[in-house]
Amino acid sequence: MAGILTLLVIGIPWLGAVLVLLVGDKHPRWQHALAVGFSLLSGIDALLLMRFISSASSVDLWLSTAFGSLTLIPDGLAVSLTAIATVVGSLAVLFSVDYMRGEKQLGRYYFLVLFFIGAMAGLVLSGNLLFTFFFWEITALCSYGLISFHNDDPLAVRGGIKALLITQVGGVGLLAGALMGYSQLGSFQIIELLARANTLPAPTLAFIAFAFLIAAAAKSAQFPFHTWLPDAMEAPTPISALIHAATMVNAGIYLLARCSPAFESVPYWRESVLAVGMISALLTAFMALTATDLKRALAYSTVSQLGYMVYAIGAGGIVASQFHLLSHAVFKALLFLSAGAVIHAVGTRDMRRMGALGNTMPFVRNAFIVGALALTGLPIFNGFWSKEYILEVGLESSPLWMYLLMLLAAGLTAFYTFRMTWLVFFGSVRDSLHVHETGTAMKIALGLLAFGTFTTWLLFGGLSAQLAESLPQHGLHTESTWHLVEALLSAPSTWVALLVVAASLMLFYIVGRRAALTAPPAWFNALSESSFGFELLNRWVVSGMISLAERLRLTQSGELNWNILGILACLLTVLAVLWWSAS
Amino acid sequence: MNLLTFVGMITIPLISSPFVYLSGRLGAQDAVLKQRSYLVRSLALLAIAAAWIPFVMALQTFLAGGVQEYILESIWLRVDGISLLVAGAVLTLGTLVVLFSGPYMAGEVGEEKYYAMLLAMIGLMIGLSCAADLFNLWVWFEAMAVSSYLLVAFYREQAASLEAGMKYLVQSAVGSVLVLAGIAIVLSNAGALDLLEVREAVSRSDVSRWTWLSAGALFIIGFGVKVAFVPLHTWLPDAHSQAPSGISAMLSGVVIEVGLIAMLRALSVLAGFGESWGMLFLIFGALNMLYGNLMALRQTVLKRLLAFSSLSHVGYILTGLGIALAFDSTLGAQGAFFHLITHMLMKGLAFLAVGALMYALFLQKDIHQPLRLADLSGVAQKYPLPALALSIALLGLGGLPPLAGFMSKWQIFVAGFATGNAWVLALMIFMALNSVLSLAYYAPVVNAMYRQSPSPAVTAGLAIGMVLQIPLVAMMLATLLLGFFPQWLEWLTLPAATSLMDIFGR
Repeated sequence: MAGILTLLVIGIPWLGAVLVLLVGDKHPRWQHALAVGFSLLSGIDALLLMRFISSASSVDLWLSTAFGSLTLIPDGLAVSLTAIATVVGSLAVLFSVDYMRGEKQLGRYYFLVLFFIGAMAGLVLSGNLLFTFFFWEITALCSYGLISFHNDDPLAVRGGIKALLITQVGGVGLLAGALMGYSQLGSFQIIELLARANTLPAPTLAFIAFAFLIAAAAKSAQFPFHTWLPDAMEAPTPISALIHAATMVNAGIYLLARCSPAFESVPYWRESVLAVGMISALLTAFMALTATDLKRALAYSTVSQLGYMVYAIGAGGIVASQFHLLSHAVFKALLFLSAGAVIHAVGTRDMRRMGALGNTMPFVRNAFIVGALALTGLPIFNGFWSKEYILEVGLESSPLWMYLLMLLAAGLTAFYTFRMTWLVFFGSVRDSLHVHETGTAMKIALGLLAFGTFTTWLLFGGLSAQLAESLPQHGLHTESTWHLVEALLSAPSTWVALLVVAASLMLFYIVGRRAALTAPPAWFNALSESSFGFELLNRWVVSGMISLAERLRLTQSGELNWNILGILACLLTVLAVLWWSAS
Repeated sequence: MNLLTFVGMITIPLISSPFVYLSGRLGAQDAVLKQRSYLVRSLALLAIAAAWIPFVMALQTFLAGGVQEYILESIWLRVDGISLLVAGAVLTLGTLVVLFSGPYMAGEVGEEKYYAMLLAMIGLMIGLSCAADLFNLWVWFEAMAVSSYLLVAFYREQAASLEAGMKYLVQSAVGSVLVLAGIAIVLSNAGALDLLEVREAVSRSDVSRWTWLSAGALFIIGFGVKVAFVPLHTWLPDAHSQAPSGISAMLSGVVIEVGLIAMLRALSVLAGFGESWGMLFLIFGALNMLYGNLMALRQTVLKRLLAFSSLSHVGYILTGLGIALAFDSTLGAQGAFFHLITHMLMKGLAFLAVGALMYALFLQKDIHQPLRLADLSGVAQKYPLPALALSIALLGLGGLPPLAGFMSKWQIFVAGFATGNAWVLALMIFMALNSVLSLAYYAPVVNAMYRQSPSPAVTAGLAIGMVLQIPLVAMMLATLLLGFFPQWLEWLTLPAATSLMDIFGR
């Protein structure tokens, strides 16, 4: 049964993807219906799979030496992420029914979305690193296809290719790490890696650990690869909600969480993970302070929140990171979809042109506020509990200065979140924007996610039990929701964090509202728009490659004489090399 | 062994070649042009279909009884795993190209020559893969080259195509001279020609090792021109982009790879220096990858872009073979042969899809002009199938799953990491980064096709028929299925890898 369900959770969306493509763009109603139907089915399947959680593989298929055997393991980590991918996925698809209505090439859109959902499930379920990589790259392929869905827009194409290339460079890390492990262990199974990590030579293990950290940072848009996510915001908004907030960007967190027991002994690994998370959380929180594009502001905040999760893993808080991942997936999807409803309604992403939209779109405003409060970390929303939990873990097991900087980031988060909300929904009307109606499908998706934002923290006990029972190698222990609530409410760190948030909100109330519309200092703008210089680094690499390629074209002169001379020169070189090496 | 079974896969295309030519010429006066064209096409298709029968029989005999030999006077043939892999690849792509060429070449002046030369080239390539002695190896190789020159310069009214054919001819001739010089050195010192006998003689001889190394260098550079080792590749971008699209597919998909097989056979007599050849392969592999990718980065003509990408894929195959020879890794050889097959499928598909689009946009209107990136804008809406085919081919070449190219590259990576050598590890990471780099020129092509605003060429384009699209569908499915089930080709790649290790005495 578990085997069938695990295969189906990948197979159902993939079948739907093929069907949507086969139905053809002439029948958009059918395409919408099929996409919603199949994504809902996969969501139900994933929820059913919750009952079959175990640490044993449910599918085990021997392929060959170079590929190992394909194993799918429905353990707590995998199933919780699968559930997030499929459930948020079906809500995003539902939202798309209204959002994408009337768009051309719907078949390609839904194909890529459904293909992505299946691949995301496969990525977390796979127990074989080859297939983790296989699905990992499929999610990158879908993400690229969807970011540049509007191919006529050069910005969208650039954003898509940038995302593809940066995540692929990170993917090289996963490939190298997986194969390094294979060359020593003779197996691609993650379980083997975890079980026999201490038998590996120290340099090998360090190589794998840091290679995986690079892969994770690139996939989850962490420092120094954080530049691709803001540009990925050219994607249709349901995609930003699903792929670039709730699921694919979590793959890096997943990889670190999955493999961290093997790497804990590697010198400087935990410190590096902590640092990557901390720097990402802080840098992008600064960048979100002055962003004027609604979706980019949300993207910065996504990187920042993912930074919290990475930081949690570095501090040894696997459960905390997964808890925040769950909360974040729900409230950030809510924020993105609300933003999508706004953008769909007014036709711009520039927050400076919005303002007082709350009067005309009360439903969306309320949904957005719920998400914003969760992102800020105010009780009793899910973001409050998970963020406080991470901060508590951080206070216990990371250097104090790092903890303080994370606190600062929490304060910044509160500030930019309120700024965003205020700019869009409150204040005065700044531009005569024509507001379209919000569709029913959109409202259903928003309503369900808002409900989730209130309630998913109640799942903590279940999540922690699932993780503890099915991940024996991680050495986790079960904690009940009530226990967490008690612990957090009695921990001083919670009250300190709330104090920081409150101070930040006071600051916003006093100066922020007025300053929100005035342009920030030029140097700060330049710094944040260039992603603290890393955008320039990207551009240098690209322009360096291009100029090298241009110069290399001189070698293809088309002159036969030179070509023959080249052949003879090469012969002499080879002879020289051979003689030199032989003597 | 029954003579017909394996000699048939060489002789059937070879013998039918003149008949196909004559059938097109003899009826010239009275027959209607169209009927003549149908006759030529169907005969060609029939001939290549018939060649499959001896191939399958030879395959069965080999899988049951191992290496088979056949000696007819001075022609020595030996069928091993490598021969069957090559024959399978050549016949697969050949069949699809003949099918594709039906509508594509219909009504061209000299259509009968096209099919005659194509069949001859197919037969000669299979023959080359079975050659058992150095002299015959050279003869098969030259004969194959002659047929390919004529096919490259098929559009003899086009200056660019003649120029390409000329460059190809001259540079290949230089390569052939070097190969011949190498053979002369080996023959004069070893006193034998049969590959296995020479290997014995070389290992026992007391001639200075520098003599053998020089002969090997001559083989590598001589055949290397044909395989397009960088910097011997300068003929390739012209030749592959100017030839008719079906021939471009053959050239990139099998002809250069068959040159590599010839090189391996020739080098096998100098197996004692296998490590040196392996190292050279790794060096050339790295050069080919980087150079091919960087050059492709700035191309706007589709077929030229694909031609440069072939350079980098030769680099990947060379890397696999280099690992095999330098580190005794059967897995490396298997990966290289697997990549040879997947590259044949994907690059063949890419060239045929580009060909189908050229046929739709230009050729049917008798316009001879290259297909540029700008012409592709919005092509997917009007020609969904060729656009999808080209996307799958390109993304597969870029090594994205779930396509075949991912799996074959993976196999080479596995072999590389299994050596545990730090330099090879660095090379593997370099190769992976190159693969990423290649997406920087594949992806924009895909993006351009899925735009909504069509280019003027697309707006004016004509419909394309079913027949042209059948090969595209077949290769698309193969590319997808091998991406999901890479082990399906193991029965072909593993014997080939074992044979390679055998002829190198490992």
